[in-house]
Amino acid sequence: MTATGEMEGVADQPVAGFDPNAPPERRHHHEPVSERADHPVAIAVDSVSKVFDSTDRRTVALEDVSFEVRVGEFISLIGPSGCGKSTLLRLVSALDQPTGGRITVNGVAPIEARRRREFGIVFQSPVLFDWRTVDQNVALPLQVMRQPKKQIERRVEELVELVGLGEFRRHYPWQLSGGMQQRVAIARALTFAPPFLLMDEPFGALDLISRDRMAGELLRIWSNAPGTTVLFITHSIPEAILLSDRVVVMSARPGRIVTTVDIDLARPRTEAVRESAAFYRYENELRRLLVQSEAARE
Amino acid sequence: MTAGVTAAPIRVIAPRTRTAGLARAGTTLLAVLAIWYAVAALLRLVHDPGASKLPFPHEVVSAYITYSGTFIEAAWQTGSRAIIGFFAGLGLGLLFGVVIIQSRWLEAAFVPYVLASQMIPLVALVPIVRAVLRDADLVRVYITAYVSFFVVTIAVLRGLRNVSPAALELMESLNASRWTTLRFVRLHAALPYIFSGLRIAAPLSLIGAILVDFLGARNGLGYLLVASLTLGSSQSANLWGALVLSMALGLVLTQLVAIAERRMSFWQPAFRTEARA
Repeated sequence: MTATGEMEGVADQPVAGFDPNAPPERRHHHEPVSERADHPVAIAVDSVSKVFDSTDRRTVALEDVSFEVRVGEFISLIGPSGCGKSTLLRLVSALDQPTGGRITVNGVAPIEARRRREFGIVFQSPVLFDWRTVDQNVALPLQVMRQPKKQIERRVEELVELVGLGEFRRHYPWQLSGGMQQRVAIARALTFAPPFLLMDEPFGALDLISRDRMAGELLRIWSNAPGTTVLFITHSIPEAILLSDRVVVMSARPGRIVTTVDIDLARPRTEAVRESAAFYRYENELRRLLVQSEAARE
Repeated sequence: MTAGVTAAPIRVIAPRTRTAGLARAGTTLLAVLAIWYAVAALLRLVHDPGASKLPFPHEVVSAYITYSGTFIEAAWQTGSRAIIGFFAGLGLGLLFGVVIIQSRWLEAAFVPYVLASQMIPLVALVPIVRAVLRDADLVRVYITAYVSFFVVTIAVLRGLRNVSPAALELMESLNASRWTTLRFVRLHAALPYIFSGLRIAAPLSLIGAILVDFLGARNGLGYLLVASLTLGSSQSANLWGALVLSMALGLVLTQLVAIAERRMSFWQPAFRTEARA
């Protein structure tokens, strides 16, 4: 299958998202980065700035930030705390408005994209409802969207199995470990097959081991959901390299984009890729860029 | 990957805890009875026995047996109206709280008056309401509803805001309507607040209903109290019988609220783990 053939399908239905009935060859479509580069633009951030004004001070959270994300890309944002990564994610999902510049999502304003329910969001904390079981928490978006009961049941079962919580479907969030809770949150974000997955340090609260495991699972889940564009915020350089097509490096106060690094590692990627020389090179390069951006500020 | 974590079914209230609770309650009851006997005996030594103000517990029990019809009827008159009023107040309070929280303006306009109206002494309010409504049953329902309404309203206003900003943003990101967010998130989050309000409202409602009996009704627990009081020490067993019955009724109502709370907001941290006996 050629890249152009692939593109037509995506271009026709950029918002269709995950189709579980798609033939297997479509489901494992991830071509090298260079080919995905000519996918249609999914998110366009154009000289966006965000200033928080309070009575006694003025905080410039983002200054002149521009970048594009293509359909089906996995993009990570890394940078020190206070570099406006989370703010950027909030602007893209219309949870907040920029003070300058423009953002378009699939060609429309973020608020319009939200009305079309194009965003699945995973926060740093799982934000589960204690009165709902795992199944019921995962079902929430579909219930909000008034889907038929039978359909919800089928989809929920599928997703809960996908994140490996099949045994815990009737448990309540407070009966699960932190990692399991975060998996419920991920399953919930995926239930309605949103074309965009926005993740704000989703593994931030996990220990190193479960963190690595979750990253691997996220890769697997993403490769089963073609056309899903992911915007992923992390503090972890290796995590960003393992997951992403591109890594956007940001600096703090004011939040700016320092540079964007293409991660040219073949997919599907496994844990083994962490041992490769290329991986080390990316790690060193990104670390150098982060340190530089810090130094430039002082 | 999930080894070591077993799929344990949830048991909200452990039976062992429940028996332990009953045992404790029984011990307390026995202690109270013992003290009662002691004080009653002491009073009889100091005072003229015939004019005793405090009957022995067994005399109260025999009054219950002799006048069982009277006591049951009185408890029913007051208790049933108190419960009706309690639920009416709960429903109205919920509705009012939900409506008023929709706008800051509405809240600012009404809540101060809600608070101020709670300052009106019931003793002053009851005769006014009586003069308007006339029927004692209606007045009882009105007053109990009035009392629980305010407690519930305040609890609802607090509770509906007891939602993490992240939860609201999650709902927002799903483009959920206000109503959906209310139904799926806010009302659940408000439950603990509403129930602690109800625990206060339940006995208050009963007191309100008894007060109505007091102030000119011709039946009910409060009437029984007043009647026994005016008839003098010969009726002291009846007076204490009515008092104990009111207390028992209050306890039952609060217990019912507690049971409902455990069932409906079982997910609260306080109810999660089996309490260690």
